[in-house]
Amino acid sequence: MASIPEPTVPTRKRFDSELHDLKVKIRAMAAAAQSMFEMSVDGIMDNNPELLQEIIGLDDRVDEYYLELEQRVHDVLVRQTPVASDLRFLTSLLHITLHLERIADIAVNIAKLGLTVARLPRSENVVTTLGEMGGIALRMIEASMDAFARRDLHLCLQLPTMDDPVDRLNRGILEEILPISDDRRMLEWGMQMHVVSRQIERVADHCVDIAEQSAYMITGEFREFTDASHPV
Amino acid sequence: MPPEARTKRPTAGSGIPASRANVARPVARRGGDPASSSPVFRLDDLSVYYGSFKAVRNVSMSIPQQQITAFIGPSGCGKTTLLRCLNRMNDLVDIARVEGKVLYHGVDLYDEQVNPVEVRRRIGMVFQKPNPFPKSIYDNITFGPKVAGVKGNLEEIVERSLRRAALWDEVKDRLKDSAMGLSGGQQQRLCIARALAVDPEVILMDEPCSALDPIATGRIEDLMEEIKTDYTIVIVTHNMQQAARVSDMCAFFTAEINEHSDTRTGILVEFDRTETMFSNPQDERTENYVTGRFG
Repeated sequence: MASIPEPTVPTRKRFDSELHDLKVKIRAMAAAAQSMFEMSVDGIMDNNPELLQEIIGLDDRVDEYYLELEQRVHDVLVRQTPVASDLRFLTSLLHITLHLERIADIAVNIAKLGLTVARLPRSENVVTTLGEMGGIALRMIEASMDAFARRDLHLCLQLPTMDDPVDRLNRGILEEILPISDDRRMLEWGMQMHVVSRQIERVADHCVDIAEQSAYMITGEFREFTDASHPV
Repeated sequence: MPPEARTKRPTAGSGIPASRANVARPVARRGGDPASSSPVFRLDDLSVYYGSFKAVRNVSMSIPQQQITAFIGPSGCGKTTLLRCLNRMNDLVDIARVEGKVLYHGVDLYDEQVNPVEVRRRIGMVFQKPNPFPKSIYDNITFGPKVAGVKGNLEEIVERSLRRAALWDEVKDRLKDSAMGLSGGQQQRLCIARALAVDPEVILMDEPCSALDPIATGRIEDLMEEIKTDYTIVIVTHNMQQAARVSDMCAFFTAEINEHSDTRTGILVEFDRTETMFSNPQDERTENYVTGRFG
């Protein structure tokens, strides 16, 4: 009776340990970026300048994660010459760290926008819509990073569907701002919130891109889930 | 040397096709799909035995023309055994025999009409350790053509072969010196030049760089890349990065253990474009091997 020898002896322990460390580190980076984004949405919702100000100081930590991860991936590429699923993990990781770094930057942008209009009158309808968009985007950060960590292709494929209501709400927010445009100060607030809406929508797009990278890592075949230049 | 020049050779009684021109088909160039290149070899359910021991089992694959095909896999998986079947080198082992077919341009290499000497002239071989004859550089190159009864200009063959093997500039002023005075890398390039001197179509390479330093290895790899426009190359290598660097197609073999006899039989697990084998292999055993987790 013939049988194929099983790979019973663990090999490349150091390499595996390095890959594991990278997984832990990117989860920490994602948690930091997600927390910043959550704070920015909360800061807008509650009109809380202290919270918004705090976000700006947190960006350095995410930038450090980004630089450290990039350096460590380069080190692993140089020393371990990874191939196949290991190589796909590392190239995906490089893309995903960039998306996370951008999400943190967006949190800072939202915080700065919130600070500029903190003393202006607000529309609760618009705030509610932004809160709804922010909540979905937060769940998308969590889902996309879960899909990456658990190598869950099914979950990856859910992200474009999760993104749809964010796009819809973003497209509709102008309609909510126009009725308040008679008041010049409220219009100024509304214009800044229009930009905030666009920023939240970008976070959701980054999450779809993270899911695309995760799907590539899992399947070895890259395909865009959505293509703005060639809409279906 | 243009390919058509190399096809004008005596073939009477060899039992194998007279000319590559007879079988010439469009060849995938760089950037094309290597797998679409027409095959030089077609292995059909090939098994190799040493006595009652089955060394390789049921291999079926096509090896494309003017491409580099790499055989990779752990020790004892039958890579070299299979390579040696491609020019009947295993005939030199009394107890070796094959089942199935090795078709070379559609002709069964093991047909009794086929002359194994002609097979080895058409299908040259370079070995793990450089093995120049203890003769001059010149004599190393001319040995094969002389044995083959070539009446042409030997000086021209020597220069052409050495140039093709990227060795001419280094040895042109000392052709009468002993080949044993060359460095290991130069000796291996001399062996490649010696193989090219008899005008083969295929070069089989059995771990040709395993005894060489990285610089000499780089030169051999450059040489392989350069000559593949005119020759089909099949290389056995333990160096997976080398397979990834130089080959167009890659075959992964492994060994299955016979629990009763405690022997290992080589099997072909996966054969695909090299990019696919090293980026997205389809078989878990390939993935484990190329990522270095086979142990």
